[in-house]
This record gives sequence, C-alpha cells and structure tokens, in this order.
Amino acid sequence: MTTASTPLVRIDGLYKRFPLDRGLLEQLELDGLRLRRRQKAVNAINGVSMEIQAGEALCVVGESGCGKSTVARVVMGLLSPSAGQIEFAGQRIDGLPRKQLAPFRKRMQMIFQNPYSSLNPRMTIRQTLEEPVRFHFPDLTTAEVVERVAEVMSSVGIDPGWGVRFPHEFSGGQRQRISIARALTVDPEFIVADEPISALDVSIQAQVLNLLMDAREQRGLTYMFITHDLSVVEHFGSRVAVMYLGTLCELAPTVSLFSTPRHPYTRALLSAIPRLGGAQQDFIRLKGEVPTPIDLPPGCVFHNRCPHADARCKSEIPRLIDQGDGVQVACHAIEEGRIE
Amino acid sequence: MKRMWRGFFDSDLVYHFKRDKVAMVSFSILLTLVLISFSAPLTAPFDPYDPLQIDIMDSDIPPTWSDNGDERFLVGTDAQGRDMLSAMMYGTRISIVIGLFAVALQLVIGITLGLLAGYVGGRVDAFLMRVADIQLSFSTLMVAIVVLAIFQASLGADLYSEYAIFMLIMVIGIAEWPQYARTVRASVLAEKEKEYVDAVRVIGFGPLRIMFRHILPNTLSPILVISTVQVANAIMNEAALSFLGLGMPVNRPSLGSLINSGFEYMLSGSWWITFFPAMVLILLILVINLLGDWLRDVLNPKLYKG
Amino acid sequence: MALLEVRNLEVRFPQRSGELVALRDVSFSVDRGMRMGIVGESGAGKSVAAFSILNLVSRPGYIAHGQILFDGEDIVQMSPAQLQRIRGNRITMIFQDPMMTLNPVLTIGTQMIECLQAHGKVNDREARRIAVEKLRQVKIPSPEARIDQYPHELSGGMRQRVVIAIALLTDPDLIIADEPTTALDVTIQAEIMALLLELCKQEGVALILITHDLGVVSQVTEDTIVMYAGRIIEEAPTRELIDHPRHPYTEGLINALPERARQGQRLNQIAGSMPSLHVIPDGCAFHPRCEHTHERCRHEIPGFTGTTHRRVACHWRADQEGQEA
Repeated sequence: MTTASTPLVRIDGLYKRFPLDRGLLEQLELDGLRLRRRQKAVNAINGVSMEIQAGEALCVVGESGCGKSTVARVVMGLLSPSAGQIEFAGQRIDGLPRKQLAPFRKRMQMIFQNPYSSLNPRMTIRQTLEEPVRFHFPDLTTAEVVERVAEVMSSVGIDPGWGVRFPHEFSGGQRQRISIARALTVDPEFIVADEPISALDVSIQAQVLNLLMDAREQRGLTYMFITHDLSVVEHFGSRVAVMYLGTLCELAPTVSLFSTPRHPYTRALLSAIPRLGGAQQDFIRLKGEVPTPIDLPPGCVFHNRCPHADARCKSEIPRLIDQGDGVQVACHAIEEGRIE
Repeated sequence: MKRMWRGFFDSDLVYHFKRDKVAMVSFSILLTLVLISFSAPLTAPFDPYDPLQIDIMDSDIPPTWSDNGDERFLVGTDAQGRDMLSAMMYGTRISIVIGLFAVALQLVIGITLGLLAGYVGGRVDAFLMRVADIQLSFSTLMVAIVVLAIFQASLGADLYSEYAIFMLIMVIGIAEWPQYARTVRASVLAEKEKEYVDAVRVIGFGPLRIMFRHILPNTLSPILVISTVQVANAIMNEAALSFLGLGMPVNRPSLGSLINSGFEYMLSGSWWITFFPAMVLILLILVINLLGDWLRDVLNPKLYKG
Repeated sequence: MALLEVRNLEVRFPQRSGELVALRDVSFSVDRGMRMGIVGESGAGKSVAAFSILNLVSRPGYIAHGQILFDGEDIVQMSPAQLQRIRGNRITMIFQDPMMTLNPVLTIGTQMIECLQAHGKVNDREARRIAVEKLRQVKIPSPEARIDQYPHELSGGMRQRVVIAIALLTDPDLIIADEPTTALDVTIQAEIMALLLELCKQEGVALILITHDLGVVSQVTEDTIVMYAGRIIEEAPTRELIDHPRHPYTEGLINALPERARQGQRLNQIAGSMPSLHVIPDGCAFHPRCEHTHERCRHEIPGFTGTTHRRVACHWRADQEGQEA
C-alpha cells in the first residue's frame, strides 16, 4: 500500500561497479615501495538517488555511457547494486532471492530497446505472451488465458489471429508493440522502458509513443522512461532526470527543465538538440571529451568540460540540492550562485 | 501441424536443397543405405547370424559375376560361408545404430554441460571448460582402445561380445561430449546477451526454465551442423575399433568387423570379403560428410544472403 | 551543367520470389557546392540511392535502368578503371559507423596515406603532411600525435572526424554522407554536423546528406528530397519543405515529431506503415495511408509538378494548385 507520500519506487544511494576481469598479476601495482592490489572497474553508477511517485512518467536522459540503462537494470533486479538500495512500494527489493521477488514481478515490468532481439525468435507470439500469464496466474483456465492474451494483443493494435506467427514475420514497430503487450499481460503498476522507440522509424515512433501514453491513461501506469531523445522527453515526461557519467546532474519537472535548465551539462545538452528551426543554431560547445568511467575524475565528474569549473569542482563531489519547485541540481556553481 | 509441414517445405532449407545437386544425390544415397540396412530382417536374402543357414561348404565363393560365382550370393561369401550381402546389410545397420546412439549420448551430456557452463558462468564455467580441455587433449581412439582393451581383458571375449554394442556407444558417447559442450556454450554466451533473455528474467522465470525452454531452441542451428560430422566420426571410430578387434565381434559384425575379418584374405584371393564392406563404409561416411557441409553452408546466414 | 545528374534510375534486387524493385524512376540533380539532403524512413531507398551513385549496389542488386551523369560522364557505363578514378577521389563517402569504416588494425596515418597514394603520386612525407593538415582541419587536437594512433584509441566523435578528414583528403567534388551522426550522441552530433557544414562551405564541396532526422537536415542542407517506397515524392528548398510541406507524407512526417505536438497530448501519427518493397500498392504508394486519397490515386502513379528543385508527386496537391500531375 502506498500512501500519498510513499513513492512507488525509491532509489537510494545507488552505486554499481563492474569489475574488469584481470588476472592477479595484472592487479598488482607498485605504489612507492609497496605492492598493492587494485582491481579496475567500470564505475557505471556513482551515487544516484531519486524517487518515482505513482502515476508519473519519469524520464532518465543522458548520452551513451551515462549509466541510465544500468540504473534501469538494477531497478528491475537484473543486476544487483554494489551499494545502495532499491525500494518498491516501501519494501526493499534489491538482493531478494528469486522466490521472494516473485510477487513483485507482477507489479513491475520492462520494455527493451531492440525490437529484433527482445522477442524469442523460436517462440510464436502466442507462446511468448501466454507464458507469463500462466506463470503468474496459475489458476486461470486455458480459455481464460487465451482470452486475456487476445485482449492485450488487441489493446496494442496486433490482430489476435496473428498469434501463431513468429517474430521475424513482423515489422520492427509491430514487434515493439508485442513487447509492450508482453509487459502488460501481467497487469503491472510500474513499467521501465529502456529506449523503447530509438530503433524505430519516425512515423512508427509516434505510433508507439501514443500507445504508451494511452496505456498509461487506461491502466494508471507509472513509467520510468530511459531515452536520449530530448524531444520525446519534452512531450512525454512529467519529470526529468539528467545523468552524466553515472551521476545525477539535475532532476526537475519537465517544463522547468526545458524552460530554465540549470546544470551546465543540461544546458549544453538542450542546446544541441537539432530543431526544425534550422539555420546554424548556437549550441554550447563542450571542450574536451567524456572521461572514461574506469578512471573517474575526482570531484565533479563534469568539471573537465564545464565552462564554469573552479578549484572546488575539481576536488569536491557536488551533492544534489533542492532549488525549490521540485528542482534538484548537483552543481557547486549553482549552489554558490555563480551562474544564473 | 499442417502449417508446420507447409512451413518446412516452403522454407529456405528445402529451397536451397532442391537447387544443390550434390546435396540431393548425397541425401538419396544415404536414404537408400538406411532403408536397405534397416529393412535387413525383412529383405536380406539370408540371416548371417543363424548358424543353421550357414554351410561351411559355401565358403569363399566370389561375387556372382566372377567365374566361380553363385547366383545365391550376390557379392560372394566369407570364410565361414556367410552371405556377404546380408552380412553387409546387417553390418551397416549396426554401424549406423552405434553412430546415432553414441551421438545421442554426446548430445545429452554436451548440451547439458554446455548450457550450464554458458548460462551460469563464473567458476562453474571455468571448471567445466578445463575438464573439456583435458578431455579434448586425449584422442578419442586412444582412450577408446585403452578402455575397451581393459574391459575385454577383464570380461573375457564371450561376455564382452554380448555387451560390445553398449560399450562402444558409451565410450564414443562419453569421449566426444566436449564438442557439443563448447558449441552450445558459445551459442549460450551470445544468446544470454540478448534482450529476450532479460525479458524472461524480468517476468520471473527461473534459470532452469530459461536455459532449456528459451535459450536451448536458439542454439540448435550449430548443433545440427556438427551432428552430421559427429555421426560420421562416430561411425568411423566404431569401424576402426572393430577393425582392431575391440569392437563388434565377428558373429555380430559391423562394417568394421567385416573389413577386419576379411583382411587376412585380402592378398590370398578372397578380396571381396574386405572390399565391399570397405566401399560401403566409405560411401556412408562420404555422403554424411557432404550433407553436413551443405547443411553448414545453408545455415550460415552470411553466405546465403540473397 | 549540374555536377551530378541522376536520370530515371532503377535498381533491382533478385530474390527467391522474383525481383524486388528498390528504386523506381529516381531522378535528381546536384549542383557544384550544393548541399542536398535525402530523407526517408527505412526501406524508402535512400541508402540504395546513395550507393548507386558510385555503382556500389550490393550484389545481387543491380542497376536495371537509368543514367548517372557525373560531370557529364555516365557512371553506369564506366569501366572499373574509370570508376576507380572517381571513387574515393572525386566522390567520397562517409558512413554511419566509423568503427566499420576504419580498419582497426591499421593506424589512422597508414589509412590516410594509403588513400592518398591510391589516387595520386605522392611520396610518404608529402602524404603525411597532407594527412596531418586535414586532421587539423577537422579540429582534431595534436594531429601529429594522433595520426599514429589506432581507431580504438579515439572516441566515437573523433573517429567520425577522422572519417570526414579521409573524405576530404583528395579534395573531392562531392561527399555522400550516409547517416553520419546517427550512431553519435546528441552533443557530438551537433559538433560533427557543424564541422561538416563549415568544411563544405569552405571548400565548395557538394554534399548529399542521407538521414531520417529532419532536424539535422534543416540545419545543414539547402535542398531536400523526400523518398517513399523507392520513389522521390517531393523536393524543395529545405526551409520551405519544413515550413510548407506539399506532399501529405512529408506533412505527416513533420507533424509526427514530438516537437510539433502539444505537451501531454497524443502525437499526430500517420496510420499504417511504409509498405514493404514486396507489396507496393498500385498507383501512388502512399494512398492507403493518405487522407486525401481519391480514385485516381489508387491507379495512377502521380508525376511531378513543379521545377527541378521544387517539385512534388501528388495528385491531390496538383489539383489543389490547379495543375496536371
């Protein structure tokens, strides 16, 4: 039971490191005169905390390597956190053994990016869709299962009669609809969508996005929507979380993020979106390159590219600070009032 | 069901088959050999295992078309008076049966271990693959010779002959599971990264179900390809072992044993006792290999892109 | 005379079930120094069109019909030796994935020098000097050091800059860029497109930019062609195409963008999807999805109305403007 204040999903101090496989000999390093063992790892998520309220569509944006997909996978339990917790409806779910996680599986589902590999090529659509229903609702009769699957297929715009076909007989857009159907068969409350439309054509993107919006209205769903496409975010999201190199830069309601972006990275990102306005637009050029997540820069992860970085930025990691009106920013310059 | 068959006949596989003469000819020859040998109890002119049907006076008769030939024995008789044609028909059947069952055993062990190694990963994977490596470094034939020789010595020749067929299947089956395990493991590693596996994990299915119900069907292609080669190899290995006297006994001969039994007579005149079984063996292995080659090319998505 | 003139190009792909027509009656022209965009969704034929210009259609596809006149000479009729002088020399290409374009086992320098020497007699030192110069032009920091690095040592954005540098090595007349920034992040995309624009203007190189992203096209190109199911359906100066699209498909495409929808409302979608090339409808290929369809659209393929760089193939639009299509 969630009260008005309990968020549906809570991510608290999340860290995720992927150790790089190296033999013992390679791990040893000479530090002065001492031999030390250091294991290198990809620091995919570095201290992310956020809450998702029931009914909202939180969009997580960032460029490649920012860790947004990893966050999605940790929230869904596909990966376990290196540190931090994930809570669903007030209960801690990270690290739960499979049996205890089972009832949550009915309430939270996921949609993936690649329509070509997110459906099992050797199973018919019917089989793919019926399996989760039978698994989570073992008391239904065969007829009831079939009916439920047919209903969910129609609701995503796929003719139920095509259930006997295999995924390769469908187009990319149709496959994505089927993936959405699969997520909807168990009647979840919360859906994590990892770049669900990036691999589709523009006109199909519009169709699938509309489908997701309709589903949200009809079923009262809560979304965590991962994407790099900011124009989709502007349209679809209620709140936006901007990530860079595994850290949360800014978290704000959509309207304020787009009208007054605060974090320097958010500003650069927004300015770079190719608009139909045309003519060489003035975009903020960031100097340098994205650092490697294996060797994280000290202090603020963005400092080597930020036009406003100072000494403090190079040594101290900024915390996410409330700016009022639901806006949170992690930036020393903003905190100190150095930039507007 | 009907839809499945129609789907199969409409499929790319059958389409390419019909266009490849070598594949079609090989398949027909193989089919013929299989049909003839498996129908042996009904169609063979004689029963070479029935001592009542063998007459020592009929021994060493050359094939029909030679001077001293006898129209009863199409390709002659051996030193005991057995009809070579019937012996070859039964022998081919045994060779094929051993080949198939040995490969079936390899499949079961190899697929299970390959799935485990690929899906579970980590230490389990490392351990199983090291075991596989060690096993691969021993040649199948060498291991088989040692194992079978020991069994033959301890059980004695008669008892051994009774169990020979099981021994052969077991030894060849257990010796070659690493081939399947590695192939399956490679496929599993690739499939594991695909999103449909994540999707079923998110739905809540357990690892066993995911391995066998979802991943395994997607690893079948390479399994099919190496199976043909493995069957051919199994038949060859069995023939070699029988030739060395460690396999099927003379009174229930496979092609290899037949070749062996006629070997000493090769130069002293009764060449047909070795020659014809050898030809059938070569033909059998050749067509299986040709079909395997064709299958590999057809199932290779890069080669047949258009 | 136009630099490149494509006339009635038809490209076919033989398949099991007959021949697939990937491009049908495609004609367009590009002037010297002109920047043209070709937009369309997947399956529309834009990449096939690009590859055909250099007669690089992947086998078993072939050019069934048509002419491709480059500086007056027909590429379709050229011998391999003649093509060699044009490919990578006077017409260069930039592909989508820089990791696929660059050979991972050779240094950047080796690849660039190799390219230069294949198209002209330059000694190693001179070639290296030119290569470093080009790397500097594409704004790669410390090019003298970078030139000896391997592709994997560079970031995605840098690699694409190298690819652009290679495309400019021989001072070509025309660059064909096939989705050059689709695989890149938004901030890098902006930089690469700005770079490409600047260099094309500076060097007077013509550009054909193939993409599905109307936003990108609106920033870089002067003229845009829209393709659908293997045919060109509209061409106009880019600004005009976006502000006043004339073909219903173009209009639908622009309106389907999230930018054009109101916050929180459903997007304006186009019903259905582009037909697969196996089952192209009779008449106008777009008619099943078009809200202005009438009888004529079902049977008669619309011809173009308008001028060379400002045309549309649509019966309804023709009627609207009082013309014959």
